[in-house]
Amino acid sequence: MSAAISHGEALSVIGLSHHKAPVSLRERLAFRPEDVSKALGGILARGFHEAIILSTCNRVEIYSVAGEGGDPGVRIREFLSEYHGVPEADFSGALYHHRGIDTIRHLFEVAASLDSQILGETEILAQSKEAYRVASESGACGRTLRSVFERAFFLSKELRADGGIGRSQASVSSAAVALAKKLFELENRTVLVVGTGEMATGIVRALKSAGVADIWVASRTESRAQEFAAKEGGKPCHMKNLEDYLAKVDIVLVSSAAPHYIIGPKEIEAIASKRRNRTLCLIDISVPRNVDPAVHDLDDTFLYDIDDLEEVARDGRMEREAVAARWRPKLAEDARELLRILHGSEPRETAKKLLEHAEGLRDTITKEYTRGLDPKAAEALSRALERLQGKLLHGPLDTLKQAAREGGGTDASAWVSRLFRLQNDAANEAVSGDRAFKSPAPKEGPSQDKADEPCKRRDERTDAAPERMDSGGSDVAFAAN
Amino acid sequence: MIHDFLAIGALACFTLGALAAIAGFRFAAFKRSGWQFFFAGLGALLKSAAIGAACRSATTHFFNSDADIYGLMAWALALSYLLALFVSGARSLGALALPVVAVLTLMSIVSDDTQTPMSTPPALFATHIICAFLGYGLFLTACAASVLYLEQNRLLKRKTFGVLFQDLPSLERMERLEILCSRLGLFVFTIALGTGIEMALKSSGTNWLDWKIVSTFVTWLVFFALVTGRAMHWINGRTAAKCVLAGAVLVFITFTLGHPQEKHAAVPTMRSIPAVCGRFA
Repeated sequence: MSAAISHGEALSVIGLSHHKAPVSLRERLAFRPEDVSKALGGILARGFHEAIILSTCNRVEIYSVAGEGGDPGVRIREFLSEYHGVPEADFSGALYHHRGIDTIRHLFEVAASLDSQILGETEILAQSKEAYRVASESGACGRTLRSVFERAFFLSKELRADGGIGRSQASVSSAAVALAKKLFELENRTVLVVGTGEMATGIVRALKSAGVADIWVASRTESRAQEFAAKEGGKPCHMKNLEDYLAKVDIVLVSSAAPHYIIGPKEIEAIASKRRNRTLCLIDISVPRNVDPAVHDLDDTFLYDIDDLEEVARDGRMEREAVAARWRPKLAEDARELLRILHGSEPRETAKKLLEHAEGLRDTITKEYTRGLDPKAAEALSRALERLQGKLLHGPLDTLKQAAREGGGTDASAWVSRLFRLQNDAANEAVSGDRAFKSPAPKEGPSQDKADEPCKRRDERTDAAPERMDSGGSDVAFAAN
Repeated sequence: MIHDFLAIGALACFTLGALAAIAGFRFAAFKRSGWQFFFAGLGALLKSAAIGAACRSATTHFFNSDADIYGLMAWALALSYLLALFVSGARSLGALALPVVAVLTLMSIVSDDTQTPMSTPPALFATHIICAFLGYGLFLTACAASVLYLEQNRLLKRKTFGVLFQDLPSLERMERLEILCSRLGLFVFTIALGTGIEMALKSSGTNWLDWKIVSTFVTWLVFFALVTGRAMHWINGRTAAKCVLAGAVLVFITFTLGHPQEKHAAVPTMRSIPAVCGRFA
């Protein structure tokens, strides 16, 4: 990897959201939860060091730290196109690509729900955390993305505690209830829940508190339906009897992960006589959608998808917009600060690596040449080598320290890494050190494994280094920090 | 004379109620139905007092001048609206009903108030005309509910979630209101029909194929079919709302075909401005 690509510059987000892409496009590029790990592997195989996929009903975004291999935007576009089998031309117009500080600021706003259609919605934070968890468990999340995401979670909580945004409890759940209330009074109504997604739980709870009496739960996995029904006070039912339940119920909430339509006009027309023209409200929060939009054209049948719910929930947006306007500059400032920290950490990482590298070499030489020497001579040799190391490294370490302070840390780190043949630069270390991803992507050649073992031993010594070194103590302290 | 002043007071109240109902779509302060309930209630009270005062001062039959007819129609519609507001809390209904009530009250003030002597017993005639007008009022309220139902249905189908969508009540509430008003209207209209037949039998030379009698009977049949069909689940939703609209058109035709029986003018005689001013001089 080119060390000239810093954390900040290599960090980017590419994706599409409700701003430009309708649900019909978002659903074509959405990642199924069970496929995210595999998809992450595919991204890393394209020369990325870190990646997190955030795929929600509102957006599909890929946060990444790029390595070598050309423009990360092009690579991600190719990946999306190949993975989903969607021609690039179909979605490239709706894509956005932020780099560096813009990526951090964007994530902060996303996690804080300032970029959501429903300002203050609560689901996005949980979804971001889930995306982060999956990437961490897959080993695709390194130090850079971890720092950025964790900071985003912290800021999101702070913002919600500020009030205004979260106070109105605007969410997809409350929007679903508000919409259903425009069709009928919810007291003693019957709901059929198809699929047991996270958002379905929220909506079911909201409907229950609005007075809904009976809840039937159907899922492709029967055990999940039973579990969901037991948790939310409903009754499980079989997917194969879906039509019978469609004939009975007033509201159908679909939150399934099926990649195709489960309910279409045929199913509704088949039960029309049994329903005797009673109004049927279908709420499809799945992405990709599981209810054919043509259903909405039938008499007494109303179908709403996630975009519709979010449109309804725009009520009360002005108050929350004011809070958002107050927070946006703070988030931008935080993004700048985080980027400064990330930049500053790069020369520090390189300095640490350089010290470890030198100590490893010194250790080897000392062991080799003090074998058979009397202890006094051995100690004198050891001290001499230690002093030599301190004097030799003073220049590079001082340069790195100065670069971290004054800027240009990335270039300095790159040069030092190259001169001393440090196998892992800071960004790569973040990946190799933090993850155990068993991806097919080959990283940094065979010397990686060799370098790992001495590093452990060197780490033990680094702590004691300032006491032992005659010169360069401040350099070591810089590296240790 | 006092009934005219009471009618003017009622007109002011109905106008304020109508303005409050319309303002409710835009200003949060008017979003509560309390304003409309207050103004419409006070207006209905004043209008009732005006009708009572007019009855006391009547030299011949009451309820047979143009002014009486418009006044009674306004009163019946205001009462029906108050009932609807009480039952459903459908505030937006006022934006449709109260302007009509205000216009009818105004017309009752400016219309000819000359009463015509009649051979029909006053009690029978009063029962007939009050029931008929209450029926009209209830049918027109059902019509207003149907209009709102169809509009809300249109917004829900088109997914237009604007201010109007937020303010309109649920489809179910509108449908319930529509059917309640239709049922009550049918009940009082049946009484009006019965008393009308009795009046027709008592007055010799009645032509049973009179347009008014035919249209009244057809109106009754439409609402009877609607109420029965709804009870049997044959029709509901948009079909029922359209039936109510058709019934309302018939109500309008029946109403304009002439009241009272002895008057044959389809278009009411308007008093000249000097005549109106002379009444208050």
